[in-house]
Amino acid sequence: METSRRSIALASGLLLIILLGVWWLDTHHLQPSPLTPTLTGKTEYCLTCHSDLPEISASHPIEAFGCVVCHGGEGLALDAELAHSTIRGGNNPSDLAVVEQSCGGSECHSGDSADSRDHIQRVMTSIQATYAGAITNIRYSFGAQTDLVAQQGIFAISDEHITTTTGVPILSAFDPLAETSTALHQFADNCLSCHISAQPSHDHDDFARLTGCASCHTPDINTYPDGQIHRLTTAIPYTQCNTCHNRGNYDLRSMTFVERTDQPLDRKSDYYQPISQFTKCEWTLDCVDCHTRNESMGDGDIHSNQHDIQYVQCKTCHGTVDELPQTHTIVSEDDLALRMSFLNPVMDLQIGDTIIVTEQGEPLWNTRVLSDGTYEMIGKATGQQFNFSPVKDSLCQQNPTEQTSNYCHECHAEER
Amino acid sequence: MRPNFFLHLHPPTIPAKQSRWRYTLGAGGTAVFLVLVLIVTGTMEMFYYTPTPEKAALSIQMISYHVPLGGLVRNLHYWSAQLLMVVMVVHLIRVVFTGAYTPPRRFNYLLGLVLFVVVVMLNFTGYVLRWDQGIQWALVVGTNLIKTIPIIGEPVYQILTGGTQAGEATLTRFYAWHIFGLALPMVILIGWHIFRVRRDGGIAVAPPTLREDNERITRYELARREVLAMLLISSALIVLATFSPAPIAPPITELNTNTNDYGAPWFFLWVQQLLNFGDPFLWGVLIPLIILGVLALIPYIFPQPADSELGRWFPKSNRVARIVLTGISVLILLFSVLALVFQ
Amino acid sequence: MTNYSRRDFIKIITNSLLSASGLLGLGGLLRYLNFSTETPVKTEFDLGLASDYPLGSRTLFPDIPAVLIHDDKGFSALSLVCSHLGCIVQDNNNGFICPCHGSYFDINGDVQRGPARHDLRLLRVENIEDNRLILFIT
Repeated sequence: METSRRSIALASGLLLIILLGVWWLDTHHLQPSPLTPTLTGKTEYCLTCHSDLPEISASHPIEAFGCVVCHGGEGLALDAELAHSTIRGGNNPSDLAVVEQSCGGSECHSGDSADSRDHIQRVMTSIQATYAGAITNIRYSFGAQTDLVAQQGIFAISDEHITTTTGVPILSAFDPLAETSTALHQFADNCLSCHISAQPSHDHDDFARLTGCASCHTPDINTYPDGQIHRLTTAIPYTQCNTCHNRGNYDLRSMTFVERTDQPLDRKSDYYQPISQFTKCEWTLDCVDCHTRNESMGDGDIHSNQHDIQYVQCKTCHGTVDELPQTHTIVSEDDLALRMSFLNPVMDLQIGDTIIVTEQGEPLWNTRVLSDGTYEMIGKATGQQFNFSPVKDSLCQQNPTEQTSNYCHECHAEER
Repeated sequence: MRPNFFLHLHPPTIPAKQSRWRYTLGAGGTAVFLVLVLIVTGTMEMFYYTPTPEKAALSIQMISYHVPLGGLVRNLHYWSAQLLMVVMVVHLIRVVFTGAYTPPRRFNYLLGLVLFVVVVMLNFTGYVLRWDQGIQWALVVGTNLIKTIPIIGEPVYQILTGGTQAGEATLTRFYAWHIFGLALPMVILIGWHIFRVRRDGGIAVAPPTLREDNERITRYELARREVLAMLLISSALIVLATFSPAPIAPPITELNTNTNDYGAPWFFLWVQQLLNFGDPFLWGVLIPLIILGVLALIPYIFPQPADSELGRWFPKSNRVARIVLTGISVLILLFSVLALVFQ
Repeated sequence: MTNYSRRDFIKIITNSLLSASGLLGLGGLLRYLNFSTETPVKTEFDLGLASDYPLGSRTLFPDIPAVLIHDDKGFSALSLVCSHLGCIVQDNNNGFICPCHGSYFDINGDVQRGPARHDLRLLRVENIEDNRLILFIT
């Protein structure tokens, strides 16, 4: 049997066609988009597929950061499976399980407290992360502990450097299986959805939110139509706080959480606790306009209760009948107020401006003392301008020794 | 016509019946061609591969995704290697089932077995050079098996891996083993193996007086058949390489211990399954060596085919040898399948 | 016209197809080899504020390598890469001397002596907003 030259001709024709096919495929494959971020110097190709993602924030430009330094992943790979195989935290690298690798580092968000760059240390010990307040209260109420000093949190954490009188050195992880009271078991089943490591059960309505840093700093995730949520901001509207703080009410007798079935629309009346009465500030401003960084992200100490960390009052901005609110004039380029204002430029803050500061010295950088002695505030999320006057030398008749917020509410709260 | 070098390498004529595709299956020749592809593609990969723990997997990602036609080169290398394993086994089975190992071919049979072992080692060392999460445990288990050998285990381990545990030195050594420790000797052994084929009288066939058919084909016809085979194999390799890329996994970093890939490379799956039974030295080293020993002894201890039966499949007289080989193959196949099922 | 037999025709076709395959393969090989894995080399350098470099100053930047000159014609820069074979020239107060083969350039970068035959390359300096100086080496 002879191998005909025809067979060889056909086989070489086949090989040629296949080689041409290879050539065609080679010229038609996905054109890789390189990006060499200045912070890492390592070229990445994520933009080959993800070029339509919006920039996450003005302070995290892609030319400096790239993608891999925050998200992990294999920057060289052009095949989705390999590229995403080492991604941190799935679609949310700020989840507390991986936040240190994604957002940390001394140059970034786990630096020096003197520089106010220790966000991660503070958030990990904060009450919104540990949920120590609720856990301690319920355990105390049902006899699992004998006082209201926090012993357990959602995760175990310790703090060697305690600076406040209410700071606690260590928390162990709350373990429902180690509890004997059925009330505590029910608490574990029904009431553990409002801390920043918790995945909320809602994902498609106004109560949807992410975990970790993104639980506050990536607001309104249900408003993104195509699911491409890529945003970090400090302009956090009140709707984001609603995702935990206005979702419904506890029923301690049945140890359940009764979720509200509506979406809160009227800020004055749609707050979950029907007995609360609010002043105009409280249903006009966003939460972040008054509540400070230390209050929400913690001061670095582990506290047993929200009351230990929350301290802003009406008098913080308005002063008392005897005293004007504390202020601070910006002299240094490195002032924290200037840095905060740069991140969210609703107010054009300059060196020489005087702003209100809280009792703990935290700058209310969206305020300014005007030349006539009154004050202005610009809403951080809305850009709305508010002008207000101090209480001192006004018509306020309030007893000078009773100047906390509850007394202000006696007159200034509006009926719902 | 005066033959050129390549034609001169071929005998002037060879028996027609035994040169048919369905007799030899072209297995030996295919193996040689696959080795050629491996050498060419392997050399090309050397232009971009970096044999350090930090860069190895990344350099492979560079080749696979960014070097023009790099993915094709890597996939061709991978598929040639895996096909070579299969083709070598087919060749071994063919040689035993046609009784082509009787004297003077016994030594060449042993050479072939040595080649087989060398190629398996080449496949393993090449696998490790990926230095990614897919090979991590295979490397640890594979090298630790050496340590189980009594007396010589530790020193041999040191020679193979360059340290007391699989680490940076291992990568450098496996690179050296892969290219100069194994591939270079393999080329020499292939040359010797093919030389012996010709010296032993070419393809095994009954002596002329006992032969039924005296028809022969010329070296030109043989060369044409080889060219046809090479063209077809090339086409198949390129199609495989294009549509089924070589496996790739994220790089090994110090931090990662949670890989889900605990499996041996496919050609060692049967060993992985055997290791479930107990003592690693017995099941992971001794038994495979015994199997190799039995294969090596086929030309020596089992009844051999008569001269008149050479040049045919299933000669009656070496039935025992064929049964033994079938048994070994079936068992290895069975354990491989079991390992896959119970992954 | 001579007669081609069918055999010859097939032979020509086969050889052409094989040659075409071979050329494609060779082309592929050359494309494969012609790829750089290095990250792109920096071509722009931010030298800081123009006010940091007063009139009359000559500032050496050994990492680029270049020398920034501020004279009455403004800002300019000279590459310190020897025009002969690429070694980095050394500052010799009155000029630049190359340690490799002894080429000598004067203070303006003009070649005075040595195997080098071209002057030191003049580099572009731009003064952008905020009074920052950017040096371009392309």
